[in-house]
Amino acid sequence: MFAKPATLTLTIMLFLGIGLTPLMALLVSSLSVDGAFSLDRYQYLWSSPKPLQLFGHSLLLAGLTTLIVTVLGVPLGILFGKCDLPWRTPFLVLFTLPLLIPPYFLSLGWFSLLGREGWLVRFFPDNPAGQPDCTVKPPEGCWAGIAQHESEAVARILADLLFGLPGCALTLSTVFLPLIILVTAMLLQTVNPHMEEAARLYASWRRVLFYITLPAIFPGILFMTLLVFMLTLGEVTVPLYLRYDAYPTEILTQFAAFYDFDSATATASPLALLAFLMLTAEWLGRRRAMPDLRPTETSLMIQSGLCGKLAVIIASGLALVIVVMPLGALGLYASLDDFSEAWTRGYDALLRSLLYAAIGASLLTVTGFFLGLLWRERTCCSGITQFTALLLLILPGTVLGIGLIGLWNKPETAWFYASPGILIMGYVIQYAALPGGILHAALTRLPPSLEQAAALSGAGWWRRLLLIVLPLSWRGLLLAWLVSYLFCLRDTGLAMLVYPPGEDTLPVRIYTLMANSRFGLVAALCTLLMVAALSPLAIFGLFRKRKESP
Amino acid sequence: MIALDFKHVWASYRGKPAVQDFSLQLNPGERWVLLGPSGCGKTTVLRLAAGFLAPDQGAVVLDNKTAAIDGRLILEPEQRGLGMVFQDFALWPHLSVHDHLAFGLKARGVDKAERERRIAETLRLVRLDSKVGARPGELSGGQQQRVALARALVTEPKLLLMDEPLSSLDFELGLELRREILALQERLGFTLLYVTHNLDEAFAIAQRIVVMREGAIVRVGSTAEIKASMPGA
Repeated sequence: MFAKPATLTLTIMLFLGIGLTPLMALLVSSLSVDGAFSLDRYQYLWSSPKPLQLFGHSLLLAGLTTLIVTVLGVPLGILFGKCDLPWRTPFLVLFTLPLLIPPYFLSLGWFSLLGREGWLVRFFPDNPAGQPDCTVKPPEGCWAGIAQHESEAVARILADLLFGLPGCALTLSTVFLPLIILVTAMLLQTVNPHMEEAARLYASWRRVLFYITLPAIFPGILFMTLLVFMLTLGEVTVPLYLRYDAYPTEILTQFAAFYDFDSATATASPLALLAFLMLTAEWLGRRRAMPDLRPTETSLMIQSGLCGKLAVIIASGLALVIVVMPLGALGLYASLDDFSEAWTRGYDALLRSLLYAAIGASLLTVTGFFLGLLWRERTCCSGITQFTALLLLILPGTVLGIGLIGLWNKPETAWFYASPGILIMGYVIQYAALPGGILHAALTRLPPSLEQAAALSGAGWWRRLLLIVLPLSWRGLLLAWLVSYLFCLRDTGLAMLVYPPGEDTLPVRIYTLMANSRFGLVAALCTLLMVAALSPLAIFGLFRKRKESP
Repeated sequence: MIALDFKHVWASYRGKPAVQDFSLQLNPGERWVLLGPSGCGKTTVLRLAAGFLAPDQGAVVLDNKTAAIDGRLILEPEQRGLGMVFQDFALWPHLSVHDHLAFGLKARGVDKAERERRIAETLRLVRLDSKVGARPGELSGGQQQRVALARALVTEPKLLLMDEPLSSLDFELGLELRREILALQERLGFTLLYVTHNLDEAFAIAQRIVVMREGAIVRVGSTAEIKASMPGA
């Protein structure tokens, strides 16, 4: 009788306790000097114009990226989710690839195309393709290789575009574009087809999409744009590599370069506050917006015809330019020798990454299952945990990392701080909203009568959970595990700050090696991680295909 | 002139045959009811008429114009000039009652003055003139049904399709709205094709009834003929 309330209460307490204490630690640390309340750190930090300037840069980058992602993502989501096009699934997979790997891989991909030893230079016949410095790090002013040749002008323009705001916006737009595409495509499946049919009696598809369908899914798209904005705002690796001065890099600088943890907390707090304010505004707005979206068995598809074929050609071109070219260039850059060296220098980090990601994903799936059960209840507490999970998801990894360090880096908890447990806990805190959301959707789709029938047969709550709910949610559990695994494996911002000494993950190892290693080696390491990330996805895809075939 | 003509129509839904060799002619101003158990293809017939589905074989003809033939849609739904009331009303949650009615008129290029006149008149007709600014979530089930009906009528369609429009309402309200639909049809003179699985409702609404089973027509006749042919009639 008490099993359900006791379990759900425990879930609430554990999740809020583990998730919010790092943020509390961050806030307390930033507001205290020698144990007393003080705003000195903030006053000191904001007395210089630099943080404000960096914050402006970050807002500009986040705004530009969000704009690009929304303008491209919504039409592509409609194209893949609503039109009866051929190869919709391969297209979706292709556009989703950049989301599944660390964001800076795409920057490396663009560098391998446009950099001084990149493919572009190699293809210019007049260029000797000399072998100057072999580091990946772009030189100041950026362009050594193809200067003094006919390609100089083009090369300079491309370099200027890559190393700076445009390059960052291009890279991060490619990384976060799949979020909008996937969510738009998924939300379109929830629109009651009768609503569209009723409108189709009077208006063309274009008008129906604009006035009926898109307003119906607008709250979901708005949340995703907020997510993209905050993820871009908190992204540290891409701006660092592409030499764009952004605010989150200041957190790293304070922490890693100046060893000034207290200033790092004061630098991180405004990002946490901004995330909180933006999510609160979105949350309150969403509560007022119309929520009557029901999952439907069949959604109405647009017969695409000639326009659809044209759209496919445009989408193919876009995928080729923003996904295939940079990632292909990166993969093809590495020679066999590079792969051999990459394995020697990176296999331990790779195995650790796989292990941590697998453990993190398993814990996240369990957490997500109980959160899903809780969110199904639609109580005040479930709303609070849902809000908290979303807040932790949109919080920059570096901010959460600083909070975790502040909380656990103490003599009495040093045993935990120096173990991989801190990183795995960080994964669970940051990404719990993902499996929680997936399993909430899966559990909501289960007819309540199935559990009611089991209850009438005399089964208690735990028995119903284990024998009815769990087996029927296996697809959701598998998907939740897979998504969690991919996000843990690609994580860089959090891992950079909290990995235990000598036990770095592969994304962190690659990022460290980039400064002073050959590009071929880095490209090979990136390829290894991409294969590791995508293998389970391919296995899952094959398994699903086999299950679906008669 | 024939309002709607199905000529040897075959149609499938999700790869399964849904309508088989369906032929039917509706004259202007008639009230027809498609009667049959769930899954017998009644709604598919309405979807074929509305243009949401093209027949695999056969033709659908509206006002002597071929609207769809042998897998091809000749007229898109918005070009057919008909109205439809859905089982779940299919109201747009983000639009007010006024905007529901304005949607179709705007799409058909009706100027503002004429639009407002028609909206006001139609809302009076369905007794919703006091709810002009309300959204669907603020209305009762019966009021929502009236909005759906008003939306279908405001564009003055010659043919109105109704897909079990009373099935989600309670008995008393259903009876009241049934009377209103009949009164409106007699007053406005549109052709009505009405789908139901409820015998009483069919007999109350119809002048002519089509009985369907497993996608095919089993019997066609006037209400009296169908009543007489029922076991125990």
